[in-house]
Amino acid sequence: MAVLVKKVELNWLDRTYVWPVLKGMAVTMRHFLKQLFTPTSRRFTVAYPDRKRTPAAGYRGLHELKRFPDGSTKCVACFMCAEACPARCITIEAEEYGDINKTQGFNEKRPAVFKIDMLRCIYCAMCEEACPKDAIWLRTDYEQASYDRLSMQFGKWDLMNTYADQDGKPRITEDPTPTVPRFPLS
Amino acid sequence: MGGFPVETRPESYPMEYLASLLHLTPETFWMLVKVIIVFAGPLTLAAVLTWGERRGSAMIQDRIGPNRALLFGRWRLLGLPQLAADGIKFFLKEDLVPQDASKLLFWLAPMLSFVPAMLGFAIIPFGRSFSEGGHTYHLSLLDPGNGMGMLYPLAIGALAVYGVLTAAWSSNNKWSILGGMRASAQMVSYEMAMSLAVVAVFMRTGGYDPQQIIAAQAGVWNVLPQILGFLVFYVCMFAETNRLPFDFAEGESEIVSGYHTEYGSMKFALLQLAEYVHITTAAALIVTLYFGGWQVPFVADPPVLLSVAVFLLKLLFFCWTFIWVRWTIPRFRFDQLMFLGWKVMLPLSLGNLLLQAFLMHRGA
Repeated sequence: MAVLVKKVELNWLDRTYVWPVLKGMAVTMRHFLKQLFTPTSRRFTVAYPDRKRTPAAGYRGLHELKRFPDGSTKCVACFMCAEACPARCITIEAEEYGDINKTQGFNEKRPAVFKIDMLRCIYCAMCEEACPKDAIWLRTDYEQASYDRLSMQFGKWDLMNTYADQDGKPRITEDPTPTVPRFPLS
Repeated sequence: MGGFPVETRPESYPMEYLASLLHLTPETFWMLVKVIIVFAGPLTLAAVLTWGERRGSAMIQDRIGPNRALLFGRWRLLGLPQLAADGIKFFLKEDLVPQDASKLLFWLAPMLSFVPAMLGFAIIPFGRSFSEGGHTYHLSLLDPGNGMGMLYPLAIGALAVYGVLTAAWSSNNKWSILGGMRASAQMVSYEMAMSLAVVAVFMRTGGYDPQQIIAAQAGVWNVLPQILGFLVFYVCMFAETNRLPFDFAEGESEIVSGYHTEYGSMKFALLQLAEYVHITTAAALIVTLYFGGWQVPFVADPPVLLSVAVFLLKLLFFCWTFIWVRWTIPRFRFDQLMFLGWKVMLPLSLGNLLLQAFLMHRGA
């Protein structure tokens, strides 16, 4: 297959080579001056540790396990996220709890263990897509680094509290409803 | 005041007074001062140029450039501490010599390229000469009337390629030798056009002493009547200093790093520094030959300090254009370079020479 090369006709001024070079230099000078007189806060480059970029609305950063206002997790341990996860980084162990329906025993489900291996996670937000309860969100925190591998294993309570400070919510470390019913079955 | 004889009182002849403090004759003292200026000046300028190159290129490409190095961990100073950081780093690096390199030449090459770069500046008058107490003080290391004139920097400039070639050859590296060969071929093809352009300046001046050349530009700078010669000389200076668009000696994308592929630590720094000192010298040559040296526009007889300041200003501007052009134009292809050298620059330069000769003939 022949490729047609389009011949560019240059006028005499462009063929001197001097004038195009001067035009090019004008372009670079314009960039130079523009960048020079742009304050650091408004340049394209964000000088990272000093200044931080605000991630866009759809940013996929560190996960949060959402909770109800009373502090109980929205997650119902349906394993949809673990199934959807292409990196296979979510580990869930379900448990039953509840003290409302006393006749049929424990019928509510929640994760006893909800673990994400952040070293494996690829932040694709497939878990967020898969979740029927909107219980897991990928939000804006992108600063995840640690000195050891173990601290990159996020457990249930880590994930419940990832954005607690940012949202002004209390940090919680236990479920409001105990696993063992408060009212013994009679 | 009683301690000094009348003629060496500080306020009457400061130069002689300062010389007497060091128990030197004014001539020796002035020579010492000049040596320090001519040695430290281009070196400092070269250091500032590396900073200007990095920050300037960053600005041109809408980046920020090096600004992480802090002075005493506190002051950023627009990234200037990076110079010190680089220097310290280069000094502390391990000094490797390739096993099959020619050891002696490998060590000699950085000096061979650095020393000629430093020498070139000696002839440049960086300010108006002044008289004081019967002595005339010239502001150039080599006094006028030394018989070498502007031939000296051209000769020294031609020596610079030996440093590159030695570095390339002694490294025993294929990329290096390619870079060295290119550098020498480039030097050969551009030297002639450059010299012919300068000859036209000599013809108009009627002499080749830099002081004479500058004095002849009191009314109109040479760049106006010799715009063609200036263009040729300016382009050849890029070839001479091995700068982009003509940096074939170290075409990163083609031959790794060219002649300094095998170099590291302070030897590499010296090669790099030589390039920047070359830029300084080239800018000084351009200023002296075509932009009136220390002449101040619209000031007939400028004060000495003003003339030095104006010279420095012009020098810095042309140093900046070297950086500016580098970040504007991409590298030529090697055959294009040769084409440009032999088929464009040389005829242009010759034509300019003939034109000037014709104009002089008409004028006479």
